[in-house]
Amino acid sequence: MPDLIEKTAPATGSTEPKPEKPRSLGSDAWHDLRKRPIFIISAALIVLLIAFAIAPSLFTSVDPRAGDLRLHYLSKPNYLHFFQADWFGYDGQGRSIYARMIYGARASVVVGICVTAGVTVLGGLAGMIAGYYGGWVDAVISRVTDMFFGIPLLLGALVVLNAFTTRTVWSVVFALVALGWTQMTRVMRGSVITVKQSDYVTAAKALGAGTTRIMFKHILPNAIAPVIVVATIALGGYIATEATLSFLGIGLQDPTISWGIDINSAQKVLRTAPFALFFPAGMLSVTVLAFIMLGDAVRDALDPKLR
Amino acid sequence: MRGASQAKWVVAAVAVALAATACGSSSSDGASSGPANAQGTFSYQSSEPQNPLQPANAMEVGGGRVIKNLFKGLVDYDPSNGKLRNQVADKIETTDAQNYTVTLKSGWTFHDGTPVTAQSFVDAWNWSANTKNNQINSDWFSDIQGYDAVHPDKGDPTAETMSGLKVVDDTHFTIALTGPVSYFEYKLGYTAFSPLPKVFYTDPAKYGQSPIGNGPYKFVSWEHNKAITVAAYDKYAGIDKPKNGGIVFKNYAQPEAAYKDLVSDNLDVLDQVDPSDLASYKNDLGDRAVDQPQGAIQNISFSLYQDSWKGQDKAKVRQGLSMAIDRDTITKTVLNGSRQPANTWVAPGAMGYKDNTCGEACTYNPAKAKQLVTEGGGVPGNKITVLYNADGGHKEWVDAVCNSIRQATGVECVGEPKPDFKSARDLIKNKKVDGLMRTGWVQDYPLNANFLRDVYGTGAAANDAGYSSPEFDKLAAEADKATTVEKTAELYQQAEEQLAKDMPAIPLWYYKTTAGYSKNVQNVKYDSFGDPVFTQVEVKQK
Repeated sequence: MPDLIEKTAPATGSTEPKPEKPRSLGSDAWHDLRKRPIFIISAALIVLLIAFAIAPSLFTSVDPRAGDLRLHYLSKPNYLHFFQADWFGYDGQGRSIYARMIYGARASVVVGICVTAGVTVLGGLAGMIAGYYGGWVDAVISRVTDMFFGIPLLLGALVVLNAFTTRTVWSVVFALVALGWTQMTRVMRGSVITVKQSDYVTAAKALGAGTTRIMFKHILPNAIAPVIVVATIALGGYIATEATLSFLGIGLQDPTISWGIDINSAQKVLRTAPFALFFPAGMLSVTVLAFIMLGDAVRDALDPKLR
Repeated sequence: MRGASQAKWVVAAVAVALAATACGSSSSDGASSGPANAQGTFSYQSSEPQNPLQPANAMEVGGGRVIKNLFKGLVDYDPSNGKLRNQVADKIETTDAQNYTVTLKSGWTFHDGTPVTAQSFVDAWNWSANTKNNQINSDWFSDIQGYDAVHPDKGDPTAETMSGLKVVDDTHFTIALTGPVSYFEYKLGYTAFSPLPKVFYTDPAKYGQSPIGNGPYKFVSWEHNKAITVAAYDKYAGIDKPKNGGIVFKNYAQPEAAYKDLVSDNLDVLDQVDPSDLASYKNDLGDRAVDQPQGAIQNISFSLYQDSWKGQDKAKVRQGLSMAIDRDTITKTVLNGSRQPANTWVAPGAMGYKDNTCGEACTYNPAKAKQLVTEGGGVPGNKITVLYNADGGHKEWVDAVCNSIRQATGVECVGEPKPDFKSARDLIKNKKVDGLMRTGWVQDYPLNANFLRDVYGTGAAANDAGYSSPEFDKLAAEADKATTVEKTAELYQQAEEQLAKDMPAIPLWYYKTTAGYSKNVQNVKYDSFGDPVFTQVEVKQK
């Protein structure tokens, strides 16, 4: 029986009365997403990026840190040498730009995903507690959120990161999570307050369900959608922020390879070697775009009002 | 020279080169020489002085270069070879390098017409050294007897005058030092030792806004944050009479703007080509481009005060690391030819400079480098860091040096940037570095002692490595006791050999003056401080 409904549901449209075991929000969205070209393109790009991040050596055998100034100082790209060291030329330290482009994906992807996970868990939890309990708990959490909101992200990150003597991917993740969780808290809080008033929550309460059970079984699944949307869109933003910080010299450091660092060093040789800037910058734009497009597609799929 | 070292650091941090550009047109008309107009004035790229224009109160170049033209001390340095020459002094005599008798020439006058006498010097020095007057370069007088009384470390001075200075008559005075300093005469060429007229003491602050000196140029006007104008002084008694009518020191906040003005002949003489125009300036300016060595050196020093660098074996490691650096290629590529590879610890142009004192240890040899590092037991964790200030454009060459070391020796090497000059210097000064650090030295006076004793002597203010070698100190002390500067320079060359054995700092390259001048002027030369020889500039007749 559920199988039948599953299959007929899309055809019969949304006016159909709620079936006995309805398709969950997630699988509904998935159905919707699969048909969107924007999702397919961005998902393909993201899969490729993740592949770069996990196994860069599959794509290039060149050591991205090895440079030969004598032979390769700002050598021009050779666009016909596909997947070879000189495909995109060499940078101001005689290193292969192609290899650095591939290896640079790791820092960006790790920062993007970890920061998103961090802010979603931390911010989501805080938002849920604030929204569910209300009263003084809400007041305290909301005011703390407001305080963090008042700190400009870049300025705050600059201060936090300055405290680290050697900065790695994890220090950047820490700084961005510490400053970015408030956005998720606000979204989650609003969403939880709406869901809390639903009949099924009252029913669960009446049946004597515990706080934890109500929160995680009844409220969370129904309140999470907007958070996921915001998080997916923000992911691209976190990657861009990491690159910005690295560009300013306050984010990642050597020996970590980051597009932001490469963009910084390339801008100084812009007039002789524009290609040194073009490839890391292009890669960064494509990555951020892919995540924002994904976020857009996910929002369209999850938000019933847009349908 | 506690105070002085700060300023030189700033200079070193600013003058930097990277960037490559390649869209200059190849115009090289330019320096066809023509008849000069002795009354013509020219403009020079400068910056706003930090302090009022008082001779002992200018450590930064903005005020320093103006002072240099308004005042003339007992001696100065011949711009062509750095040798000492007498100006107001007729002779400076000593038998023990500790007690000096100065005889002045007659005929020198201040711009207000009053004569320059022995009293003008002694009073000026006493005033400048006095802690109450808060002069930035007051510690230049610290060799003189009685300096502690007028400039105690803490509290008010107990005397108004230094006991080591005595006026004999109008043209004679004596200087007694606390100990022998054979190159003291060399120090006397610094602007802090300039004479001051009587009118100065009535209101030093007001005087600082319109100074009256005894130099080749007299003060005309100071438009704050815009320009300072000086004009040739027709009664100047020095040997370097101005060949032009005056100078306008124009302020530029952006070196790029100055360069553009120069190319379009709106500015006549450049201080330094900005990094982004380095690759093309020779094309743009043709034979009006200037490229010559300067009295400054770039090093990386070791934190010898950390356990990891102690012991005789580690000298081998340090030599190995030095040999792992491909200075030639890095200066040609990353630094765009704006530096000259170094093989000594003293910059060329300084008296006592001897070529290749570092020898094999400063020659790129990856195989030998690796062997020496291994023989010396390697470095802890097989990893080193190079601390530098991120605001001075040093990143590119630090990365290149690290890459060179890593590829030659297998030692992991990364740059450790600190956000600005001050935070990097604070760590270095307080001896909190663990590893390598960017250090450099811009000469105070063109003598090898300044590059050696003031940087590598035990306890010297600029001894960032914490280097302490009994042999070096012994040779330096002997050199200081010598009675002639020539002998001092020679003995310091022996001390320099000790540095090659211990390698407390790796010499990388010498700074160069990369500048140029417009079509309106000719005969523009630069001295080893990187300053143009202002008095020799000729303005072409229109």
